[in-house]
Amino acid sequence: MTRLRVPQTLLASIALLAIVALLGSGASASTQQDYISALVSATIVYGLYMFVGSSGVISFGHISFAAIGAFSAGVLTIPVGPKHLTMPGLWPFLAQHSVSSLESLVIAAVLGGVSALVIGFPLMRLSGIAAGIATFAVLQITYNVLNQWTLIGPGPTTLALVPTTTGIWVSLLGAIFSAIVAFAYQSSRRGRLLRAAREDAAAAQAIGVHVVRERLLAFGLSGAICGLGGALLVHQLGSITTDQVYLELTFLTLAMLVIGGSGSLWGATVGALAISLLDSFLNTAENSVHVVFFELTLPNGSSDVILGIIMTLVILFRPQGLTGGSEFSLAGLARVGRLIAASPAKLRHRPARSEGPPAPRTDM
Amino acid sequence: MDGGALPDDAHRWPQGSLRATDVSRSFEGVEALRDVSLAIERHEVVGLIGPNGAGKTTLINLITGFDRPSAGRIELGGDDITGWLTIRRARAGLARTFQHGHLFRALSVRENIELAALGVGMRAAAAARIADELLDALELRARAGVAAGALAHGEEQKVGVARALASRPRYVLMDEPAAGLSEADIESFSSLVRRIRDDYAAGVLLVDHNMAVIMDVCDRILVLDQGRLIAAGTPAEIRTNIDVTAAYLGSTGVREAGGGG
Repeated sequence: MTRLRVPQTLLASIALLAIVALLGSGASASTQQDYISALVSATIVYGLYMFVGSSGVISFGHISFAAIGAFSAGVLTIPVGPKHLTMPGLWPFLAQHSVSSLESLVIAAVLGGVSALVIGFPLMRLSGIAAGIATFAVLQITYNVLNQWTLIGPGPTTLALVPTTTGIWVSLLGAIFSAIVAFAYQSSRRGRLLRAAREDAAAAQAIGVHVVRERLLAFGLSGAICGLGGALLVHQLGSITTDQVYLELTFLTLAMLVIGGSGSLWGATVGALAISLLDSFLNTAENSVHVVFFELTLPNGSSDVILGIIMTLVILFRPQGLTGGSEFSLAGLARVGRLIAASPAKLRHRPARSEGPPAPRTDM
Repeated sequence: MDGGALPDDAHRWPQGSLRATDVSRSFEGVEALRDVSLAIERHEVVGLIGPNGAGKTTLINLITGFDRPSAGRIELGGDDITGWLTIRRARAGLARTFQHGHLFRALSVRENIELAALGVGMRAAAAARIADELLDALELRARAGVAAGALAHGEEQKVGVARALASRPRYVLMDEPAAGLSEADIESFSSLVRRIRDDYAAGVLLVDHNMAVIMDVCDRILVLDQGRLIAAGTPAEIRTNIDVTAAYLGSTGVREAGGGG
């Protein structure tokens, strides 16, 4: 299934990312930040997708790795001089060293990946609601550690004076890199075997798949990409608090993945970009915005409500996400085109999509 | 091959056989299997029948590593595999099908087959070749791109067999594959089971309630009742065995099992 559509879905994803970057490059400085946010979100969502999409196991903990990436990249790139002033309690080694932004991206990815491997090790046997609870606990633990431990960061205060090196092109490169990694993994032997385990863990074992090991590998890789995403984020914002890489970002990125369709790279791309841009637009609209003819001002908090409604509708009516969990393909596009071109009468008589009979699916 | 259920002499079986020796399994005090011994060779189809709850699926789970015996030993080709993980057994050549298909529903038929080859460690190119072979051999070519979840029941079983064969197994253990198949499907299914033995040189342990299939394809039949092997023999012998009749008549399995006998 994935084999044949391979290059198409990656190329389509990269093309969509590039379109967003091009739109952003022509926008005003403040609007451009929305486009950069969309591309940075895409990186984080790709990270999330690599684990959640491939394994079918939910994770509320991935923003932990983005947080680890963001704070490590931030702390490491602030020049030594100001670092002494803003973070007097810092561990001397960290206080006396500073690295370039590029180096910090690599370090953030490595730290995100390693911490995911360590944290994931005891968790990978879990699935379903247990995995949700455990990974949520991971998020809380990471938040509290970062919030309290002034030896490694600013603690509860803002991490400021981080070089703002994530421009529109850097964010595009980061997102493309992540898309390629996610794609390479999902088409690899091990990525495919994890998909088998997602479909049916017992049957996967029966064909020789070490389910826990495959999940852990995906968890580590996705932690690395989330770490990279966090680093890109901190270099976009220039300053960050632990609250910015906590609950809200967790649910926003999960919403992007679910709405786009967690089963495919294309779904992750579409969901991340569409929801990020929509979220930015709604946030702007809360402070009033021009829409064609009229001035639109939404009440405060309406962006959250609207996103919540969209997510509910998608879960109710299109549980596989907007893309239906399918990868992008020209053949699929043509099919949709034909459907749209078809007369309404034809549409009514269109055979049901091949959802299949509700065959029994009992555990052994 | 008579008396195959009770292999007292370890040297009687050549290398390559799949054996269980005095295997027991109890669940919270209830003995699902008691001192069951059997041996299967690669050139035979062995039927395993018995009333519901006799322990047939438990036995398959013990042999494939989904469950561990409380006592006893399981060997494959002379190796003691009792402590092996399921995945290691799969790579050593034990394949199984499940009662309810357990296909990878969102994945295509082709991907289902290919993954089984990948799972036991084959390279992607080899796995693709094997999938091609099996798609043709089992006449699944036309359905290659269809999601496995969208298949009709008969096709589902066929893909399950293809998936089992893709790992190039030494033995295929089948858990009620004929359940719910139509008359027409059963015909082709029986010949498929024979081909596993003849064309793919894999031994088959076939658990089913469909006596027509069992009597038709099996070289030997083992009868399990309340966790114990109560009879073993050729289809003709089993057909006339008093104990077997008694076990079935005195149980709830009588209706399904009586079908073709």
